[in-house]
Amino acid sequence: MNFSFSEDQILLKNSVRSVLDEQCKPAHARAMMDDPKGYSDTLWGEMAKLGWLGLPFPEQQGGAALGLVELALVCEELGRAAYPGPYLASVALGGLGLMLGGSAAQKEKWLPAIASGKARASAALLEDALDWDPASTLATAATAGGGWQLTGVKRFVPWAHVADVVLVPARAPEGLTLFLVDPKAPGVTVKPMVGIDLGSRWSEMKLDKAAVAADAVVGQPGAAGALLESLLRRAAVMASAEMLGAARRCLDMSVEYAKVREQFGQPIGSFQAIRHRCAEMLLEAENAHAAVYYAAWALTAGAEDAAVASSICKSYVSEAARKVCGDAIQVHGGIGFTWEYDLHLYMKRAKALEPLYGDAEYHRELIARHVTSSR
Amino acid sequence: MDLNYTPEDVAFRKQVRAWLEPNLPKGEIKTLEQRRAWHRKLYEAGYLGMGWPKEYGGGGARPMEQAIVADELARANAPAPTNSLGLGIVGPTIVVHGTDAQKRRYLKKILTAEELWCQLYSEPNAGSDLAALRTSAEDKGDHFIVNGQKIWTSGGAIADWGLLLARTNPGVAKHKGITCFLMNMRQPGVDIRPLKQITGSSEFSEVFMTNARVEKPDQIGALGEGWAIAQTTLGYERGGRALARITTYATQYHRLLEAARRLKRHGRPLIEDPVVRQKLGRIWAELEVERYGALRVLTQLERGEHPGAGGSLTKLSYSEFEKRFMELAMEILGPYGQLTEGQPEEYRLHVDTAVGDHGTWAYAFLWSRAGTIYAGSSEIQKNVVGERILGLPKETRADRAGSAR
Repeated sequence: MNFSFSEDQILLKNSVRSVLDEQCKPAHARAMMDDPKGYSDTLWGEMAKLGWLGLPFPEQQGGAALGLVELALVCEELGRAAYPGPYLASVALGGLGLMLGGSAAQKEKWLPAIASGKARASAALLEDALDWDPASTLATAATAGGGWQLTGVKRFVPWAHVADVVLVPARAPEGLTLFLVDPKAPGVTVKPMVGIDLGSRWSEMKLDKAAVAADAVVGQPGAAGALLESLLRRAAVMASAEMLGAARRCLDMSVEYAKVREQFGQPIGSFQAIRHRCAEMLLEAENAHAAVYYAAWALTAGAEDAAVASSICKSYVSEAARKVCGDAIQVHGGIGFTWEYDLHLYMKRAKALEPLYGDAEYHRELIARHVTSSR
Repeated sequence: MDLNYTPEDVAFRKQVRAWLEPNLPKGEIKTLEQRRAWHRKLYEAGYLGMGWPKEYGGGGARPMEQAIVADELARANAPAPTNSLGLGIVGPTIVVHGTDAQKRRYLKKILTAEELWCQLYSEPNAGSDLAALRTSAEDKGDHFIVNGQKIWTSGGAIADWGLLLARTNPGVAKHKGITCFLMNMRQPGVDIRPLKQITGSSEFSEVFMTNARVEKPDQIGALGEGWAIAQTTLGYERGGRALARITTYATQYHRLLEAARRLKRHGRPLIEDPVVRQKLGRIWAELEVERYGALRVLTQLERGEHPGAGGSLTKLSYSEFEKRFMELAMEILGPYGQLTEGQPEEYRLHVDTAVGDHGTWAYAFLWSRAGTIYAGSSEIQKNVVGERILGLPKETRADRAGSAR
């Protein structure tokens, strides 16, 4: 039993941090807010070169064959930098989805392209009613000629406007089926949905009899339920890692501020009202760390409790990050409420991820199902 | 990172479980002598004082082995050994700060429960501000004379010896005039009165010392070093109960689920009520997060690192969790949760609580209030975390300079 990072993992973490400290400063995150694409090709290319974009993929497909603990380490650092770009969408949603369920040909086509930064992927897991349960999917897939025609509306598709391929679940005659869709194909329209976090881009994706070929099915027709659940778990844990990073940054900024900001003739960090709040924030960050890396390890190792650990992770970290980031604004007072100060970049990142891949309530119900069925 | 137990640890756990099967006391433990006998049995099997040096009767075991033994005892709902303060606080203090003569004189008898110990720290006016303690120890040449009052002395009623903090120099700053002693409790100058708690029971005592005597060789460390010694003592949480604590919570949790299956609201079992399910889901998540945290602490200990102020975070986390958990238990159980007698079998709690013999939900609930007060309240833990981990400035305090008098 060893719940600590290996030397290689620490090296990875440090190298990700130093690259982002250099190339993803708050000024970069701010510059991308007004960019129509929303992310920098230069940094994307750098990430490809450093091997981050194919981190969990097999080596023969251009990946580094690392596990989800390593992927979570990268995601945590991205959250800490409020990185604007399609990393989570491309690697953790599209990439892992293809890795989990894609055919040999699909993997061969997409994984090396994603790893090299040439292609970006995403997944369309939400519809109008915001139910994360794959069984609630309303979009349909009708057989047409040798292939399929997809119809429906997907919402909050991350970075669909720059994606080359999107994993889209739809209801086929055989049952729930996962398709690879080109968002630029005829019959597909992508419309931006702008949220408070301008470093996370979402789209509405309308499918109006969008034609996809027979070989665009991921896995077997009718068998996408289990695959989508596995993907959702991984996305939930990686989103949690990113929230953890955002929360850590908020905590660090609060502690530094509390040491230097003076009121009543003393640093505000000397007051227990502030100090105790900071201690509670650290407690939440440490617990969130344990939840993220336990779940990432459990998924990688195929541990018996991997599914429930993912739900524990997302439900715990969603609320921990909410508390830490919210408290950070309170500790800062007025300055924390200004656009100019950087705190809101991290707070908004955590907030954007909070409802995604199952919110706390969604996952708590899954936990309740687990504990009431396992004994 | 590998959160699987090693084959050695798995084998060791099996071995402990196999030992427990035939050796677990069959009936309820009612007398101190029965508990002492159980204690000795555990010691002879090598399951107590496992981390203490071998030359003083310890086992020289790894932290994980200690945690596994405690965990298996919790799993089997085994009665607690006696002498918990001797094992948890006094022994480790003597191991680190004691002379060789003190080690030879006292350690083995702690392990065999031949001598039971208590801790004489808190006073009526020195709780969180422990360094404000006023019990005095006056140097009389070959011995000290002790006068004062202690409170919250756990196990005081049965203790033979006490680990005492007393002021030996009132003329210096309050943290600097305190010395640590080993005091014989069985003497005329020591008067022990049970302290009835909100649980209705009396695990704690008040101890009055009137010209009580402490021998010179029973001073631990140098004069005026008592505060520093006490600080290290509070950090002796070696993660020994890290896993056991979680296992006890989990057993209680599953007991609560059974109750939630039987109890109803609006004609529907509570377990089907989405609000109840959310609350149960939340507590299970928090319980598991405590377990993950315990694995992190054990990893540190196995590598020979001391958690230091990190121990404050751990204690803050589980003690506050325990209160939330017990409040949920009370919500789900309704008035059944408050029963101290007359409860139907289904709403009984068989889990041994902190002290060992009051297996009711009501008792566990009331006890949960103690955890965020004893051994440094949550507020004190947050100060420690804020100052020592986050490096926040200390507050301006009126008592840093000047003498204790």
